[in-house]
Amino acid sequence: MTTESSGPAVAAHASAHKLFSLRRTWAIAANTFRDLVRQKVFYFMLVFGLFLIGTSLLTASISFQGQLQTVMDVCLGAMSVFTMLLAVLATAMLLPKDMEDRTLYTILAKPVSRFEYLVGKLAGVTMILLVATLLMTAAFLVVLYFWQGREIENLQLTEMPERAAAAIAKVKSGTFTSTLFGGIGVIFFRSIVCAGLTLMISCFSTSWLFTVIISLMVIFAGYLVPMARSVWQGPLGTAEVPTHTAILLRLITVFVPDMQLFNVVDDIAVGINVDADVFVRIAGLGAGYLLVYLFVGWLFFAWREL
Amino acid sequence: MGTPAITIENLTKEFTNPSIFNRGKVTAVDSLSLTVEAGHVYGLLGPNGSGKSTTMKIVLGLVVPTSGRTCIFGRDSRDVESREAVGFLPENPYFYKFLTGSETLDFYGKLCGLGGKMLRDRSRELLALVGLESAADRRVGGYSKGMLQRIGLAQALVQDPRLLVLDEPTAGVDPAGSHDIRDLILRLKQRGITVLLCSHLLSQVQEICDRIGIMNHGKLVREGPLDDLISIENQTELTLENVSPALLAELRERAEAGGARVLGAHKPQQNLERYFLDVTAGKK
Repeated sequence: MTTESSGPAVAAHASAHKLFSLRRTWAIAANTFRDLVRQKVFYFMLVFGLFLIGTSLLTASISFQGQLQTVMDVCLGAMSVFTMLLAVLATAMLLPKDMEDRTLYTILAKPVSRFEYLVGKLAGVTMILLVATLLMTAAFLVVLYFWQGREIENLQLTEMPERAAAAIAKVKSGTFTSTLFGGIGVIFFRSIVCAGLTLMISCFSTSWLFTVIISLMVIFAGYLVPMARSVWQGPLGTAEVPTHTAILLRLITVFVPDMQLFNVVDDIAVGINVDADVFVRIAGLGAGYLLVYLFVGWLFFAWREL
Repeated sequence: MGTPAITIENLTKEFTNPSIFNRGKVTAVDSLSLTVEAGHVYGLLGPNGSGKSTTMKIVLGLVVPTSGRTCIFGRDSRDVESREAVGFLPENPYFYKFLTGSETLDFYGKLCGLGGKMLRDRSRELLALVGLESAADRRVGGYSKGMLQRIGLAQALVQDPRLLVLDEPTAGVDPAGSHDIRDLILRLKQRGITVLLCSHLLSQVQEICDRIGIMNHGKLVREGPLDDLISIENQTELTLENVSPALLAELRERAEAGGARVLGAHKPQQNLERYFLDVTAGKK
């Protein structure tokens, strides 16, 4: 072993500590992304998602419903399920794996705060979700392109020229709409909220499996949040809704994400036009959920014994 | 005297018993106080479960103490900033298996705020220092236990820390590697770097530590300069070369005539590690 020489210069450079450093957070995020990219199980899931999207044309041709609607239904449904499952499964294993391998010790023994670590992990998962969403969107757009081409060809063959032109224009304007891209954005946003929720749960959970089960249960309960809200919005302390029940329901509606909020994707799948302000509201609420989960997760993680 | 590298004041750590039938407390560290002066190599010894690792984790801010305080160069060790001065090598370290040795050092360097050419140079230098230059582009997942220990040591040194906390640094390393690590620790000491060392290899601790602390059941039972603790006050060792049996007999007689008691006379043995290294030298 030889004696090192650049040590003092390195030490001088490394000494400017910031409370929150993007460089440190990015290092953790990039590493998390790289780790997840190497997990073979997610490739199987992605291939299955892409397969479902690819076969939507076939499903549409044997469907009694409108063909575009079926393609949209299958593709957006596959994207929703895949991204949510990916978010939960990928996030749930991050902390337990680092703790089990003791890599967490060497990371947190460096000047890295636990908040930076959590943000880095979440950012890494967000990157993998973005890549997965982009890949599936690309496959979806290819499917839509083929569907549109086949539909135009059919119209040219079956309709009178003057009627065909109007029908073709309608097909063209109704396929690649801004609402559709907004819907894909909602799917992506929903998956990040699921990842944030799972990360929060993994901050106090003791096992990977427990995190996955609880996260999926909370996400499922999220579809019942509007029902819970409608109950507590009645007058407090009435015979119908006792005070303690109302308080419990209020807490549930704060911490459990309102998954119905994201069900605007279902409307998009059936061709309903959705206003831009709805997307803005969803993005705002989603960001709010994410911040709450990150903060609560950090509170648990900051006091966790390693 | 300057600011101590580590100050531990009246430290106590209690863990709740995980058993649901007995929710009592288990005291891992009990009213521990000690100081590690800057530039020293300090050996923290004790049997398994004596509280050494918990103490180390508290010093590194990984575990919150029940009471008491630990400081690194005067800074509370719960402050993230205090860790800028620390490099840590845990016992049996594991790193991200998908990263190469070089990428592992890049990752830990970035966590310390390093980047660009400086980090690349530093990584290369450290890989050479721990003898892993030829394995720099191999995935850590394929490293042997000894190589993991070496890359662990390199990552601990990446930001050129003033304090190095080493938990069993030579576990799983072959004698030559273990000897290299010991030499490295001594060279770091010459550069003024403080080392807190936990090891069950007492012969190695004896060779490199200035002070030691012995823990048992969470308490510090002995502490002080190594020489003071292990030297036998009323005995003197004399090593002679080319001594004849007659001279030896005369010396024995004169010693006994002077009121001393000769406890034994034997040929000194060289250390087994030294012998092994001499035999295997140049066979790599």
